[in-house]
Amino acid sequence: MLEAVDLTKRYGQVQALDGFSLTVDAGEIVGLVGHNGAGKTTFIEMAASLARPDGGRVTIGGEEPSRVRHRIGIAPQHIALYRSVDVREHLALFGGLAGMRGAVLRTAIDELVAALRLTEFVGRRAGLLSGGQQRRTQAACALIHRPSVLLLDEPTAGADPETREALLDVVKQRAGEGAAIIYTTHYLPELAELQATIAVARRGRVIARGTSAELLASLPGEVSVTVDGREIRASTTDPGGTLIDLLQRNDRGVTAVELRKPSLDDLYRSLAVTDAAT
Amino acid sequence: MRQREATHRIGVLIRHNTLMRLRDPGQMISYVVLPMVIMLMFKPLYEKALGTGTIQVVTGPLVMFSVFTLAIVGNSILVEREWRTWDRLRTSSASAFELLLGKTVPVFVILLVQQSVLLVYGCLVIGLPFPKSIGYVALAVVVWGLTLLAIGAALATVMRSHAELGMVSDLGAIVLSSIGGALVPVSLMPEWAQFLAHFSPGYWALRMLQSAVVGDSAGIVLPTAVLLAIALVAGLFAIRRIARGWGRSDLL
Repeated sequence: MLEAVDLTKRYGQVQALDGFSLTVDAGEIVGLVGHNGAGKTTFIEMAASLARPDGGRVTIGGEEPSRVRHRIGIAPQHIALYRSVDVREHLALFGGLAGMRGAVLRTAIDELVAALRLTEFVGRRAGLLSGGQQRRTQAACALIHRPSVLLLDEPTAGADPETREALLDVVKQRAGEGAAIIYTTHYLPELAELQATIAVARRGRVIARGTSAELLASLPGEVSVTVDGREIRASTTDPGGTLIDLLQRNDRGVTAVELRKPSLDDLYRSLAVTDAAT
Repeated sequence: MRQREATHRIGVLIRHNTLMRLRDPGQMISYVVLPMVIMLMFKPLYEKALGTGTIQVVTGPLVMFSVFTLAIVGNSILVEREWRTWDRLRTSSASAFELLLGKTVPVFVILLVQQSVLLVYGCLVIGLPFPKSIGYVALAVVVWGLTLLAIGAALATVMRSHAELGMVSDLGAIVLSSIGGALVPVSLMPEWAQFLAHFSPGYWALRMLQSAVVGDSAGIVLPTAVLLAIALVAGLFAIRRIARGWGRSDLL
């Protein structure tokens, strides 16, 4: 559905993208993670036809994004709402621009505000909404026309648990209906909940891609053995073998054994270490 | 089919932008009421001092306060940059042309309404002779509205804040309209000022409006041409900036 091949983009001295490649199939959620400056937002802007690549190409269903804007829904990283316009009017605007009208539009608005738990605030102007309500309104603007490609750039940044839960539910539902979704975030547990494929971006390119299980398999876990009150810790990619080895060397006085598998947070931290080291 | 969809999108944008303007009517009201008060208060002075009848009394403040409306034009565009909503609109199915049309039509209507209300007020309250040709007056109002729209849009693409835009539109309104003859007829100004007046759009607007009111068809041609040229240059500059250079709100 969405394919990016070898994208490059430079802003002045900054190489924002440097051979960025990524594909997302219909019905797939790809969680794009990486530190600030990794190129996530630049890629989202290109996929939404807001920026042109210096090199490479990005296509949606084989066409340039600018030719199929009606198939794209985007929730940008920064809040982009009209402060003097209420939630329903926002949805009417973006639904209307996508060609929706009349009863179809009204029904779509009612369903979406209910799904995103905005019904109570539908007549409230955006400037008077809380941060979480603004996030949900922004997401609703991206979702109103049921796009086949959804670009969600940190949609839950600074959001409360209610907002996060509501958004994740709708995102899962839309993927189930066949939308190709790119979801950037710094909160990796969200990606586990979405059962997303994870793509790791660093310095303008995707350096790893896979399910969370596949990516975590490459990370070391931790084995801890307490012998006579003294704790021995070891970081290892083979926790079972390491544990057996530790137990063989300390066959008496073992009072506690702990095995810790790597988590998604460890994966994120490992990116930081890699970045700091390079 | 495509044309029908485009028309629908333009209608959606016009409705949306009209809503935004109606929710923030402060500037619009003050730029209509203030010149009315000024016309009323200064009418005796102008009549006695100048003997030019009521034409100068009505057209002078009209031109000055219509230049003030540059702030409305500019703010309507600047706010899209500030709220980052323009980038959001650019990702929709609407083309750059549709976005611009939807944005500018409501503001253009405001400019036309302001001038029309002031002219009607001039006729009914101040005693401006009823124009001999409504067509000429309508032409003048439309041309001046277009010129202001283009200049305001161009300004909004280079200004970095509302304060900066306010300063430029306030200074511009006072300087351009006064040097253009809105306060004192150009013929009474010193020679250097009479020369400078030709570089003020306000000067050409006054000449055009005054010629239109008295039905001077020959006198309306040159000012109309000059103002249309200014509108064209400013408009092309604004379109180029809006469609290309000013894509990123973080340029603010």
